[in-house]
Amino acid sequence: MTQATKITGGVLAAVVLVVWPWLTDDRFLHHVGVLIMLTAIGASSLHLIIRTGHVSLCHAAFMAFGAYGSVLTVMSLGLPFPVGLLVGTGAAALLAATIGPIVLRLTGKYFVLITFLFGEVVRMAIVENVALTGGSNGIFNVPPPHPIFLDTKAYYYLALAFAAFAVGLCARILGSEFGRAMNAIRDGERLAECSGVPVIRFKVIVFIIACALAGMQGSLMAHYNKVLSPENFSGIISLNLVVMNVIGGMSSLWGALIGAVFMVMLPELLRGYVNIQHIIFGAILFATMAFMPGGIIQAARHVKAMLSAKPDAPAPPLARTGAAE
Amino acid sequence: MLDFLSRLEILLNPTVLGQVIVNGISLSAIYILVALGFTLLFGIMRVVNFAHGEFAMLGAFAFYHLTKDLNWPWMIALPAGVIGVAAASLVLEWLVFRWFYQRMFESMIGLLGLNMMLIYGGVLLWDTHERNIPAASQEVLMLGDIIIPIDRLIVVVIALAALTAFYLFIRHTRAGLAMRAAAQDVETAETQGVDTRHIYKVAFFVAILLAALAGSLWGQIYAVSPHLGERPLMMAFIVVILGGMGSIPGAALGGALLGFTESIVGTAFGAAASAFLSFGVVIVLLVFRPWGILGTPEN
Repeated sequence: MTQATKITGGVLAAVVLVVWPWLTDDRFLHHVGVLIMLTAIGASSLHLIIRTGHVSLCHAAFMAFGAYGSVLTVMSLGLPFPVGLLVGTGAAALLAATIGPIVLRLTGKYFVLITFLFGEVVRMAIVENVALTGGSNGIFNVPPPHPIFLDTKAYYYLALAFAAFAVGLCARILGSEFGRAMNAIRDGERLAECSGVPVIRFKVIVFIIACALAGMQGSLMAHYNKVLSPENFSGIISLNLVVMNVIGGMSSLWGALIGAVFMVMLPELLRGYVNIQHIIFGAILFATMAFMPGGIIQAARHVKAMLSAKPDAPAPPLARTGAAE
Repeated sequence: MLDFLSRLEILLNPTVLGQVIVNGISLSAIYILVALGFTLLFGIMRVVNFAHGEFAMLGAFAFYHLTKDLNWPWMIALPAGVIGVAAASLVLEWLVFRWFYQRMFESMIGLLGLNMMLIYGGVLLWDTHERNIPAASQEVLMLGDIIIPIDRLIVVVIALAALTAFYLFIRHTRAGLAMRAAAQDVETAETQGVDTRHIYKVAFFVAILLAALAGSLWGQIYAVSPHLGERPLMMAFIVVILGGMGSIPGAALGGALLGFTESIVGTAFGAAASAFLSFGVVIVLLVFRPWGILGTPEN
């Protein structure tokens, strides 16, 4: 792809994203649009962590910190929404800065196990701490960021702006010198360390940025849904974000975005069949990891290469899955 | 501080103390059963079985249906259900697990998918409401002031018998020897004539057998529902991290530590406190000794 086609494509995509809500009056479509935008923030921020070679199963815990931090600031302290958003994002970042330096020292499998447990502990802490969080009942009547955002279409633009910021930030990081250091860390932590990359510090920085973005998503989600309950932040939610990255392909940010669109649309198509939906997600996870660990992006590249290759040329190998041991 | 001491003082009451000890032993035994299978799969096949708790759930449902619907006595229903689940799971071994052998990273994510499929398949089949397995016995044993429910005692005896059988199997049979060899070094074991494909199947069968047994016993103490597997799975994680992943004595030690912590702290300060404490201990351990108390560091 040349620079010109990239720019044309980008402008075209931006125009489509801004214009489409005006082409329909269907509130449901606008609602799906909001969900996709907000989910894209979570998926792309988790993608950052995955690109350093760690699969985190507690991303929803940071969304919870963002959501409760923001909602409590707005509802209990009576401060305006922007302050709440900042407090929520900051709370998630602070949590990440606290546990990051500890858990990021662990190798792949221990990291997965510990984040799984940590996500569960945060959910339990929310359920137990009834006075602050309302326990399992949650918090109702969360106010919108501003009365005009009661309109779904208006909220879509708010979500679009934040999603553009988050995805842009992730893309910028991945495309920079810093992103290349992240790839080096994933491919060989010790080698990267020997080449002068401050491995732990870089991983912690990435973790804090990604978790802060997750907190931002949690805050925006809470003020959109207007209710807040611990179930919105259970292990299944974290796992869904992993599924998005896995089906899209863990080697590219596009994969996470494709996965987010797919994972938001599929449940909307399967409304009323919540259990079957989970079973399908499970089957997708299994089948992708067993047979196509590179996800949709890799499969597409593979097919493209096979189509454009000369008849006798061997197909390029599927890329490695990207996670360090 | 006074409150803390008065809560601890509860434990000095002989009736409570007896209960705490019996609970501690039965919880430990169940955790060890779950964690042994988990650590066995990891040690030999390098598979992190995120679906392990669901095999406990299947075991509990098999036991429930055999005792409640078919009215089998528990002494027949328990082994029949457990062996039935383990044998049926060999289909899953062929369909799902064999793709993930020696592929640790893919196994974690792929088996999380299997975990979801089994939980929500269970929800479709059995709904989410909780059922009770009738207790094996209503009677209690009195030792002075200490009251011991007979059914808890049965759980302890069965679990200890299973653990002894497992130990003898691993230590004193040729299949057990082949498993230990494969756990140490798969390639060398293969060159020495160990049929690893066969050993994997045996190890899988044994691991699921232990998980299903743990689930049946767990279902008898608590309640049976499709979400039964979540807690045993978390406990298995904590136990194997405590003891060291892949280490069999480590699983036994970790299970005993966790079972007694939960029983003692849970009685004095509530279930949430004991959960937070176990998690805190695991975090601290991971910082200083990620390979666990009895594990060996990698490379």
